[in-house]
Amino acid sequence: MTSPSELRKDPVSGRWVIIASERSKRPDDFRPAKTAERPRGPSTFCPFCAGNEAKTPPEIFSLSGPPAGPGAPPSWRVRVVPNKFPAVSRGEAPVRVRRGLFESMPGIGVHEVVIESPDHDREMADLPVDHIRDILATYQARLRSIGAEPQYAYIQLFKNKGMEAGASLSHPHTQIVAVPIIPKRVKEEIYSSERFHRRTGDCLFCQSLAEELKAGERIVLKNAHFAAVEPFASRFPFETRIFPLRHAPFFGSAGPEEIAALAETLSKVLAKLKSLLADPAYNLVLHQSPNSVCGRRLWPELERISHWYMEIIPVLTHVAGFEWGTGFYINPVAPESAAKFLRD
Amino acid sequence: MKRILIVEDEEALGLLYKEELAGEGYDVVTVRDAEQALEILRRESFDLIVTDIRMPGRDGIELITQIMGLRKEVPIIINTAYQSYRDDFMTWAADAYVIKSSSLDELKARIRDLLSR
Repeated sequence: MTSPSELRKDPVSGRWVIIASERSKRPDDFRPAKTAERPRGPSTFCPFCAGNEAKTPPEIFSLSGPPAGPGAPPSWRVRVVPNKFPAVSRGEAPVRVRRGLFESMPGIGVHEVVIESPDHDREMADLPVDHIRDILATYQARLRSIGAEPQYAYIQLFKNKGMEAGASLSHPHTQIVAVPIIPKRVKEEIYSSERFHRRTGDCLFCQSLAEELKAGERIVLKNAHFAAVEPFASRFPFETRIFPLRHAPFFGSAGPEEIAALAETLSKVLAKLKSLLADPAYNLVLHQSPNSVCGRRLWPELERISHWYMEIIPVLTHVAGFEWGTGFYINPVAPESAAKFLRD
Repeated sequence: MKRILIVEDEEALGLLYKEELAGEGYDVVTVRDAEQALEILRRESFDLIVTDIRMPGRDGIELITQIMGLRKEVPIIINTAYQSYRDDFMTWAADAYVIKSSSLDELKARIRDLLSR
């Protein structure tokens, strides 16, 4: 199958971009495409709801729900399906093409959707902790499976909740996109951690977490396995990171006890954000190590310098010209105040 | 003879689809917007629907969500010049997503495939 897209590298910034080309018809068509979240009314349809399974591609993974009665639709708690109309398609390791300064490659990749619950209206913050644990276990299963394919250098798991965060559908879901390159932002984090490791022999994430725990003022909550922190240099108000206390490069390596503790942590953090900030739109992003085979070529000490964590960014401000131009962010809420507000 | 409803706001394209698909042995009806499509779907039955997305008034995605309430069993093909709507999960109500091209080969192949199921 021909890939419908191409990956292109900007020669100045080193940033890769997915180009999903369009055949333009007239200047008027350059208006932004309508991709706003569509609320579900009584007559509208949701492809993720129970009973509409035939409208999704065949599922890759699912966790069963309570037994369904005779003739009832299949019962499930969490389902994973491939994107029905993906911008990237599966393939072998792509060959990079260089034309002078310009570098590109076919847009191979994986795009899957985790449908978090059969219930359209129950956001992750509203689900019982054991259901969140099932969602997290599903994430792990898919990340481990895709992670076994070395042509996918990086796997990004993310959740867009709410229209302002980029969701096109309000039914709770998470997306998993695997790409054949290590993205620039991921590289920047690892290079920074590598420099610190070379200097001190420690993991930068473990050390900064230890200092946050010692200071305490930016900690939202902590349990036996995780700490939720408002980072020292938060870019956005109420930007929250959830760090495992145990050093581990991959989310997939978290054990059942850690997953149960993470479910509890996420549930509490999301419930606090929902109740205190009037149910904001947010992005939840997983940061973890690139695929070991690709990553070790750049960083022989990859497993020592990568440390997975989750980041939740409520959409409360807009990124505008100054931020785009400089990479500086202006955050109107000090992380110490945000942490205190969430703690209290 | 299988009946196909084409929803396309550009008259010339609608005519082209009608001629080409009639040549393949289909009975083709074309309409120019979502309102006309919903009106005819309330009165008549079709074996397949091909719809553009960007149209005046209701867009094609709003149209297919309405069709789910009227004729959920009828297969739908999205036929658009835009890749960007792939990001909108409501397009999953459709059965195929075709990028408009000067050649109608892919559209014809998808129609054959869906009508043979």
